[in-house]
This record gives sequence, C-alpha cells and structure tokens, in this order.
Amino acid sequence: MVTFNYNPDRKVFMATFSGRLDTLAVQKLSEIIQVNLPVKDGTSGDKIIFDMKDVEYISSSFIRICVNVAKQTGSGLFSITGCQPLIKKTFKISGLDEILNVS
Amino acid sequence: MGDPLVEKANDILDRAILATAEFHQFNQEETDRIVEAVFKAGFNARVKLAKMAQEETGMGKWEHKVIKNVLGTQLVYESIRNEKTVGVISSDPRTGITEIAQPLGPILAIIPVTNPTSTALFKILICLKSRNPVIISAHRGAARSCTETVRICYEAALQAGAPEDCIQIITSVSREFTNLLMAYPKIALILATGGTGLVKAAYSSGNPAIGVGPGNVPVFIDESADIPFAVKNIIFSKTFDNGTICASEQAIVVSDTIEQKVREEFEKQECYFLTPEEIRKVEKIAIVEESMSMSPFIVGRPASVIAQKAGIIVPEGTKILLAKLDGIGKDYPLSVEILAPILAFYSAPDYQTAVNICIDLNYLGGLGHSACIYANDEKRIMEFAEVMNAGRILVNTPTSQGAVGYFFNHLVPSLTLGCGTGGKNITTENITAKHLINIQRVSRRMPNELWFSHDQAAYYDETLGVDEIMKGYYKNH
Repeated sequence: MVTFNYNPDRKVFMATFSGRLDTLAVQKLSEIIQVNLPVKDGTSGDKIIFDMKDVEYISSSFIRICVNVAKQTGSGLFSITGCQPLIKKTFKISGLDEILNVS
Repeated sequence: MGDPLVEKANDILDRAILATAEFHQFNQEETDRIVEAVFKAGFNARVKLAKMAQEETGMGKWEHKVIKNVLGTQLVYESIRNEKTVGVISSDPRTGITEIAQPLGPILAIIPVTNPTSTALFKILICLKSRNPVIISAHRGAARSCTETVRICYEAALQAGAPEDCIQIITSVSREFTNLLMAYPKIALILATGGTGLVKAAYSSGNPAIGVGPGNVPVFIDESADIPFAVKNIIFSKTFDNGTICASEQAIVVSDTIEQKVREEFEKQECYFLTPEEIRKVEKIAIVEESMSMSPFIVGRPASVIAQKAGIIVPEGTKILLAKLDGIGKDYPLSVEILAPILAFYSAPDYQTAVNICIDLNYLGGLGHSACIYANDEKRIMEFAEVMNAGRILVNTPTSQGAVGYFFNHLVPSLTLGCGTGGKNITTENITAKHLINIQRVSRRMPNELWFSHDQAAYYDETLGVDEIMKGYYKNH
C-alpha cells in the first residue's frame, strides 16, 4: 500500500502508494505515515513527494492526510506526482491541487 | 479570529467539497449500493420519523406523514433504482452521441417545516443517486426530526461505503446564515423548498437553484363532473396531513348551475361552509395581514382546531372549512395559499367566468405549480389545461397525492415539484435524480449531408433570398 524511500543526496523522501486508498485503508496508513515521514517540525528541509502512479482511488481522508503533511513539511517542500487522470481530477475537484503541488 | 458564520460555512463546504472529490470516483454499482442502504434505513424508520415530525412541528397527522415518508423512500427509490446516473448513461449509434453523467457537487437542500422528514429522505436519496454530497438545511421548527433523519441515513450510507460528509445537516440556522451558504461559490445547486422569500433568496444567490414556492391550486368542478366523486376526492386530498402539501387544493370553482349540488355534497361529507361573519374571524387567525401569507399557527392544524382558534362553533367531526368568496386578492385573504383544511369557494354564472376565476387564482400566487379539473368532457379538460399556467394539470385526481406522483398517475414520485418559468424554475417536471447530473455529450463526427452537398457560396450572394437558397438546400432530398 505504501513504501518509503529516502535519498539523502537530494534530501527527498519519497512515499510510493498503490491500490485503493479508501477510508479503511487510510485509517491504517495514517499511523504508518506519521511514523515514517520526517515531518515532525518542518525544519528538516527535506522534500516529501507522494508518488501516486499505482493508486486507483483516494478517499477524502487521504486528501486530509496530504494537507496535514504539506502543512508540516512547509511551503514548497511537498508535492504529489504520477497521478492517474481520475486521481488528478479528484485533487482538482477538492480545490487543493495547488496547495498540494499536484502534477 | 474571523467571522464565526463564515468559518462555519467554510467548514461545512470544505467537507462537502472533499466528499464531492471522493464521490465522483464511484461507479454505478457502488453508488446504487449506497442508495439502496439509505432507502432501507429511511424506510425502516418511516413510522418513528413521522411521529417525531408530527410531535415536533404540531402539524399534520403522523399516519399521513408515514405515507409521505414511504413516498420519499420506497416510491422514490423504485423510480430511480434502475436509472443510470454514473458514467455512460446512453449511446446512440444513429446520432453518434454518447451521454456521460457527471455529478454536480455539493447540493444545499432546504427542507420545509410542513414535510420535514419526507423531503429530507427524498432529497438525500436523489442526491446520493447522482453522487452529490447533500447539506440538509432544516427548518428550525423541525430540527430534531431532520437531525434524526440525517443520522439514520448517514450511518447507513457510511456502512455502505459512502464518502465521509456525504450528508451533513445544519440546524437552528438564521436567515443570514442560510443566505450566506446559498451564495457560496462552492455550492453547486440549491434545492429550495419553502416560502416565497426563501425561494427568491435562492434564485438571487448567484448559484443555480431549483426552487419550489407556493401553489395556489385552483380546482374547477365542471358540470360534466361526477360531483360526489369530486367532493370525496377533494376532501381526501385536502385533509391529507391536514393540507400541508403545497399541491393541496386551495379553491373550488363551480358554475352557478351546480353550486347547490356541490355545496350539499360537501356538507353531506362533513364539511362546513362559513358564514360571512365567520369568514372574517377565520381570516384574522389564518392570514398575516401585512404579508398576506398564511399564519404558521394554523398550518397543518385540523379544521376543528382552526375553528376553535377563530372562536366559531362548527359541527363535531368537521373536515374542512369552506369560505364562499366574491373576489380574489388582498381584499379576500382566504383566496391565498393556506396549507390547512380551509378552502375558498367560488361560483360563477357560466363556464367561461368560472375558468377565468381559476386563471386569477393561478396567477395570484401559484404560478407554474398545479391546477385541477373534475370533468367528464375531454374538450373542457383540454381547454382548461391550455389556459392554466401549471406544471401539473390534474384530472379527476386529488391534488395532494396526485401532484407528487405515483399514487394516482404516472408522474415521477417527488417532493419537489418544478414550477417552470412561472415559478422561476428551469423545469416543470417533478424533480428527481436526473435533474442533479451534468450530462456530457461525446459527439462523433457525422457530417451532415444536407450541409455539405449544398453550395455554400449561395450564402454570400446578396441577390439570393431565403426561398431560392432553401430550394437549393433541399434539392434532391
């Protein structure tokens, strides 16, 4: 459902998601993300990227997680990449695609 | 710290927008599973919710509110269950057009105090069927029963996999807050059912709206009608939930030739004709003089209670109070819409005058809503229908149960009745799930032979007129 990869040279923390991120799945994910992502105080300067290329569904609770992580990470350091068109549109409809740097 | 009202509105709409984002990913099967679960939960709570609504509002009869709840759940569900509302909904190889349904977004559903639980159930079902999150704005007089309705539906929806916040409720709202929400750009559509002021506010909000206001339903009993049948049906309808349905009969119009027969039939069937003095007493308690609108204290109350409030004595068991009036408008307060068992009564010297009275009543405050004729003369039925401005012209049918569909005809079951441009609506149809989708049309290239086989240079030749060009256009076709 999610794997983490850190590139210390580029200071990029990549979380690669897959499958259906529905409400139930996100309940489990929430804790995993909290534990694994370096977003405790937003001072590390690390970039965080959510790679969504294998995600086929996202719930509103996943979007909320993205918003929280983006806030903690700090301006310009969080982004979402690799969205399938349906997921891209989902972020668009949420009106949060710019805040979340969805591409 | 910002304006608390704005913050509250922001929070509600932010949630609704996220629900919209999630909901649009659902397929038809997933959507239908949610709708079925909500239908079942709402249906199973029909009696409890009916009793709650009656106790809370003091309006109507709980037994009739059960039937309204059945309409808002079972009958609405059966009418939409097989409808395609997600993805490709039609494809026509002849025209090359494929239609794709898309949700609208957050829908603000304003619920009237007269039909609170049934309207909430109905609006929730049609919104979910079209994958739109719904924000129920409950009348403060029915906040408790609406809150319970939403709780039951929301729990069932979540259990069936619906997005969080797909159903929200706001209660105890001020007009200021309702207006603020209605004007929010994030609202996709307002489904407004209520008084004239509220419906006008919805249309003025800048957001799309389907608003259903008053219906001052005239009923013409023609000389060809079966009078006992007509009177029986009118009583059945006007006493249904004590007249709270906006499509209920408001005025009976007859020609002088049958006036006595109709009066006798109403009296025989336990209705009471007020004397001129009693009419004035009822006017005082039934109508708010400044606004010429019905008093909330008599809405949905039985005839006996209204008579008592007016200080008049009527026979025990009186079903309806009838007031014979000589005119229409502000000098005749009982000629306006009253959602209670009070009927205006008019007699005219001839058929044409009688129909003209119906037109005046129709234009007094119920434009686009509903009208009714009892007749066994097809010519008169069609003549009447053509001069009324009403989305529904009901024939030999009780209007309360007739206009909402299913029971007495094949109109679509609905608790929101489109009133056309007369009522500032875009449609005269009974509103249902199909009105809550955007339809995208995928149009394949299919060159029109008529256009391409015609010499288009003709259009640039000023010496050629319409007849010559049209002749060339249709040549060999």
